[in-house]
Amino acid sequence: MNDAGKYRILVVDDEASVLLTYRLILEQQGYAVTACSTSREAIEAVERESFHAVLCDYSLEEQHTGFEVITAARKRDPELPAALLTGYATLETADEAQVKNIRVMFKPIEIDEFLATTSNMLRRDHESKQEIIGEEDAKPQGAAKNRGQRDSAARRRAPAGPVKE
Amino acid sequence: MKRMATAELRFQPEQINGRRGNRQRRPAVLRLLEAERSEEIFPLLLEEIIALGFPRAMAVDVNFDSGDITPAAALKWPRQQLEKFATALWTSDHQLVTVLHTARPAVLTKSNLHNRPIYVHPILYSNRNLCWEADRMRTAICLAVQNFNREKKIRIEEQVCSTCEMRAYAAAVVVEVPRQVPAQTIAELGELIELANRYLSRLFKVEHYYNRMRDMEITIAQMGTVMQSMADPVILTDTQHRVIMQNKAAERFFRVPDEMTEGLVRAVELNNLLFSAALSSMLVSGSDSHRDLTLVDAIEGEEMLFEAVSAPTYGPDGIQIGTVTVMRDVTDLRRADQELRSNYDKLREAEEVVRQDRDRLNLIIENVGDPIVVCDREAKIVLVDPLAQELFGAAFDVPRDAVQFKNQTQLAAYISNFTYSFADRENAPVRLYNPAMHQEIEYDARSGKIFDEFGQVSYTVTVLRDLTAVRRVEQLKVERRMLEIEKFAATGRLAATIAHEVNNPMEAIKNAIYLLAGSMPESSAPVYNILKSETERVARIVRQMLGLYRNTEQVKPVSVNVIIEDTLLLLNRQLQRSNVEVESNLGVLPDAVIAADQIRQVLSNLVINAKDAMPNGGKLIIHAKHIPNPDGLHGWVRIIIADTGTGIPREMIRSIFEPFVTTKGEKGTGLGLWIVKGIIQNHGGKLSVKSKLGKGTVFKIDLPVVKL
Repeated sequence: MNDAGKYRILVVDDEASVLLTYRLILEQQGYAVTACSTSREAIEAVERESFHAVLCDYSLEEQHTGFEVITAARKRDPELPAALLTGYATLETADEAQVKNIRVMFKPIEIDEFLATTSNMLRRDHESKQEIIGEEDAKPQGAAKNRGQRDSAARRRAPAGPVKE
Repeated sequence: MKRMATAELRFQPEQINGRRGNRQRRPAVLRLLEAERSEEIFPLLLEEIIALGFPRAMAVDVNFDSGDITPAAALKWPRQQLEKFATALWTSDHQLVTVLHTARPAVLTKSNLHNRPIYVHPILYSNRNLCWEADRMRTAICLAVQNFNREKKIRIEEQVCSTCEMRAYAAAVVVEVPRQVPAQTIAELGELIELANRYLSRLFKVEHYYNRMRDMEITIAQMGTVMQSMADPVILTDTQHRVIMQNKAAERFFRVPDEMTEGLVRAVELNNLLFSAALSSMLVSGSDSHRDLTLVDAIEGEEMLFEAVSAPTYGPDGIQIGTVTVMRDVTDLRRADQELRSNYDKLREAEEVVRQDRDRLNLIIENVGDPIVVCDREAKIVLVDPLAQELFGAAFDVPRDAVQFKNQTQLAAYISNFTYSFADRENAPVRLYNPAMHQEIEYDARSGKIFDEFGQVSYTVTVLRDLTAVRRVEQLKVERRMLEIEKFAATGRLAATIAHEVNNPMEAIKNAIYLLAGSMPESSAPVYNILKSETERVARIVRQMLGLYRNTEQVKPVSVNVIIEDTLLLLNRQLQRSNVEVESNLGVLPDAVIAADQIRQVLSNLVINAKDAMPNGGKLIIHAKHIPNPDGLHGWVRIIIADTGTGIPREMIRSIFEPFVTTKGEKGTGLGLWIVKGIIQNHGGKLSVKSKLGKGTVFKIDLPVVKL
C-alpha cells in the first residue's frame, strides 16, 4: 500500500463505466490514478505530467488507438511500462504490441490478474531502474532485453496474486 | 498224306515163295483179307496173279499231285523194263495212259511197252456203299459209289470227292498174258483184281480217316498250344456254363488249386460265381456280349478287372453247344483310362478357372473406368480396353487419325523408356489428347512389367488415370474447406463484435461487483454472491469464445511434446488434488507447424475435461507419436488423451462438439470442445472421440506435419 502510493498510473478507456471501475479498483489499491476517456485527453495528460505506468484501451474514440497514447507517453519516458486492454486483438496488433514491449490484457480481465500484472509491471520497472542506477547486477543490459520472454514465461505459469509489499 | 501209302518195290518174291512154299495155299480172298494196310494189297495181288500162272505182273500208281505214273510194285518183271511204264498222265500217246483214261481193262497184244501181250486193268477208288461222311452229311454223292457204279464218265484228273474232299487213288495192274489167252482166264484175272481193289478201297478209306484223325489231332494240339499260350483267360463252357476247357491263364482264376487254402478256394468260388453270372447276363442281353468283370487273382490275391467277350460255339448240326469266353485284363487299361479321364477333368476344371479368371479380368478391365494399355517389348500396343481404344485406336491397327497417331507416339516414348529402365513399376504423368474433351489432358500413367520365364520383359501394362476428375474433387474439397474457414472467420468476426459490445458493459459490471465487496450489508451476501458468480460465468463464456478468435499468435514449428509437458505441469496441482494419475508416453516427434497457445488451450481443455470426468480419481493417459506418410514428406503427429472416467452417453457423443453442449451442468460453458474442434480444424487436423459409459473416453488428435 505504501509503495503503491508512490506510483502514478494513467488509465484510458472510452467506456465511462469501465474507466470509472478501473480507476476505483486501482485507487483501492492505493495507486494515484489519472483516468481519461479519449486519446486526446490522455495525450494531453502525458504531455502534462509523467506516469509510472499506462493502462490503455486499444480501441478509442473514432479511429484512435491506445498505441498513440502510449507512444506519446514514451516520448517523455521511453522505458515506460504500458499495457493494452482489449477484448479482441488482431495478429498485427499483437505483433506490434510485442515489438513495442507493450503487454496485452484481454477483457474480460480477472481482477486479480489485472492487479498482479500492474504491480508486476511497476516493480520490474522500478527494479530495472534501480539495477541500472546501482550497477550491482552482473547483467544490467540483459534485464530489459529478456523482459518480454520472461513475461511470457510468467504468464504461462499460473498467474500470481497481487504483489503486496 | 491223302495219297495211298505205296509199297514201292518192297516185295521180295523169293522170300515170300520160300516162306509160303511148303504150305497149302489158302484162297486169294482170305489172303487179301488179311492185309492190314493198303500197301500190302499190291504185293499180295501180284503174288496171287503169278500163282494163277501168269509170268509176270506189276502195279503202276498215279500221283495226282505231279501227274506222274510210276511202277509201284512188280513181280518177275525185269527191273530195267519197268522204266517203260513210267510216264505221266498228260502223255497222250502212251498206251498205258490211254487205257487209264478209259478206266476199263484192256488187253494190248501189241505194244511198245512189252514184247508180249499185256493185260492192263485200271483201278480206281470205288465202293458199293456210301462212305460215312456222306452218310453223316445225308447226301448220296460219294465218289466211291460213283466210281463203282460208273454213273458218269470217269475222269482220272478229277478224282476228288465233292462231299468229303477225299482225294481218290488211281492205279493200273499190268499182267503179261500169253498170246492166245482164253477170255475165261482174263475174266478170272479181272475179278481177282477187282476183289483186290475192293479191299484196297476199304483200307484206303480207313487209312484216309486215320490220316484225317491224325491231322485233326495235330490241329487240335496246335490249337491247344495256341490257346494255352494266350495270356488272356480263355474258357469254353457248355450250355449249363460248366467249364469244358480252359487255358492256364483261366485256371489261375477258376480252378481250385492243388494246395487248398480257405482263402484261395473262396476266391476261386467267387470268381466262378461272378463269371457264371456274367455269362448268364450276356446270354440274356443277347446282342451285347461283353461285360466288365472283377476277379480275384487266386495266386497274387489282388483284384483285377477284365473285359469278358463271349461268343457261342455251335455243333455240326448248327445247335449251340457252348460259349467261348475270352477275357482281357483291362486293369491297367482302365486305370490309365481313369487317370486320363481325371486328368481331363482336372484340365477342364483348370480351364474353367482360367476362363473365369479371364472373364473376371475382362470385367475388371472393362469396369476400371481408366484406359488400360498392354504393350509388347517393342512398345507396340497388343491390347487395349474400350477407353484406351478411343485414345490410341485398336490394337495392331494403324492409327486412324492424327490424334491417335500423336497419342501413340507419346505413349510409345513413355513405354519404351519404361521397358528399358530397371524399374519394375513406373508412375509418371503423360499428356494425351482426349478426343471426348477436345483437349490435351495430363494422365497419371501407372505401369508394371510382365516378365517371361527368362526374366525378360514380355509385356508392360499401363493404366492411365485421368486426373482432371480427381483434381476437380480436390479443388472442390479445398473450396469447401475455404468456405468452412470463411464461415469460421465470419463467426469470428461476429464474436469480435459481440465481444466488443458485450465485453465492455460486462467489464464494468464485473469491476463494479468487485468494488462493492466489503461495503455490502451481511444480509445481502447471498444475493451478492449470485451476482458475482453469474457474472464470472458470463465472463468465462465470453473469454473462451474470444480466446478462439484471438489470432494473436504466429504459427511456427513447435515441439508438441513441450506443449504437452507445459500443460501437464500447469495442471499438475489440480490433477493431484483430484487424485488423477498421469501416464504420458511421448515419442520422438517432428515439429508441427502450429499456434502453440491454441494447441495449449486444446490440451488444457481436454485434460481438464478428463479430470472432471474422474471425480473419484483415475488415470489420465497422454500419448504422442509420429505417423509418417508413405511418401516420407508429410505425416501426422497423433496425440491421444484418454481417461478412465464416467464416459459420454451415446446419445450425446454426436453433439459434444457443438457449442453450448456440456456434460458438466452449471459448471461448464459448453464451449470447450467446440473451441478444441475449431482450433484443430484451423490447423488442418483431425479430431475424433470414442467413449464408453463407465469406462472412459479417448480423444484422438492428428495434426499435420508440414516440412518447411
